[in-house]
Amino acid sequence: MGNFGFFEKRHIPKYNDPDEIKPGEIEVDVDKCSGCSICVQACVVSAIVMQAKRPVMLPPGRNECIFCGCCVAICPEGAIRLKSPYRYTGLYKTIGHGEPQPPRL
Amino acid sequence: MASLKKERANRIERLRMDFTETEKVILNRRSVRLYTKEAVPEFMVKRILEAGRFAPTGGNCQAWKFVVLRDPELIEAISETVVKICKIFKAIVDYRRPGFFWLRPIANLFIRRNRNDLHPVPFGAITMLAERKFTVWHGASTVILIFMDVRGVGTPRLDCGIAGQNMVIAAHSMGLGTCWVSFCKPAFQYTNKWKKRLDIGYPYKIVSSLAIGWPRGEPEGMVERQTHAVDWFEGGEKRVIY
Repeated sequence: MGNFGFFEKRHIPKYNDPDEIKPGEIEVDVDKCSGCSICVQACVVSAIVMQAKRPVMLPPGRNECIFCGCCVAICPEGAIRLKSPYRYTGLYKTIGHGEPQPPRL
Repeated sequence: MASLKKERANRIERLRMDFTETEKVILNRRSVRLYTKEAVPEFMVKRILEAGRFAPTGGNCQAWKFVVLRDPELIEAISETVVKICKIFKAIVDYRRPGFFWLRPIANLFIRRNRNDLHPVPFGAITMLAERKFTVWHGASTVILIFMDVRGVGTPRLDCGIAGQNMVIAAHSMGLGTCWVSFCKPAFQYTNKWKKRLDIGYPYKIVSSLAIGWPRGEPEGMVERQTHAVDWFEGGEKRVIY
């Protein structure tokens, strides 16, 4: 129906092109972070690495952050925040996603 | 009768204030991928299986078979098979490696044939498994393989999913960590070795598996997640809510 163009749904996106497969993004509060690196171990897709004792994300094209929130949940200092969700195009186009929200009453 | 109505009104008021215990278990649960080596007591695993046994199924067909793996060596050996298969897949389809851009048309053929298993996320995971950046069951001490009886009523695959989710929620309420792991599929799809070894034949077909163990760290808590467009038909008109 209205979700896809004719060519759009036939186009397989290039997996290492951040314009076509944009991974999620997190934000680390460097002041709160204690450098324990448990987020690196917890990351499902190994998108986080330690750099100068602080976690940083691999650049887009080399990570597949799936916006799962594992790092946010496991961080003992509460230093990580989810910034922007993933957005895929072509065959895997993200449809009908709204703004991220915590569980609502 | 009147007291029943009053009771219900009270309940609704309470619901407005806070989530129920069950909701809290669901909302706090996260897929755990960091486990300690500590074993899960046998009775707990049996209790988890009970939660699965009482899942709703189409026509009460209970079209599943659970296989519990508790030997680290066995779990490791199945992982090893999966890693081998992932290595082959990586060699054929991973065009993201420098110098392998020419693999893309071949990879796209595979993706078109199997768009679920070669979605960008598992595509990346195949590479990571092949490079041993993580193991299939993340070092969990107990694994439950879920097979479906292909003769089930209606949607047996879904029924297995419902049973599995029951088990996962039950396990979380006991303080255990769980993770759905569908990367066990290649070990049963592309080879006969483990089907023979575990004595699995017709009518059983692999659906998925659960990793169960004691979590390392405290991977609990509610986090943000995308909202989804929900079409809402009421009063003769359509609304879209998020």
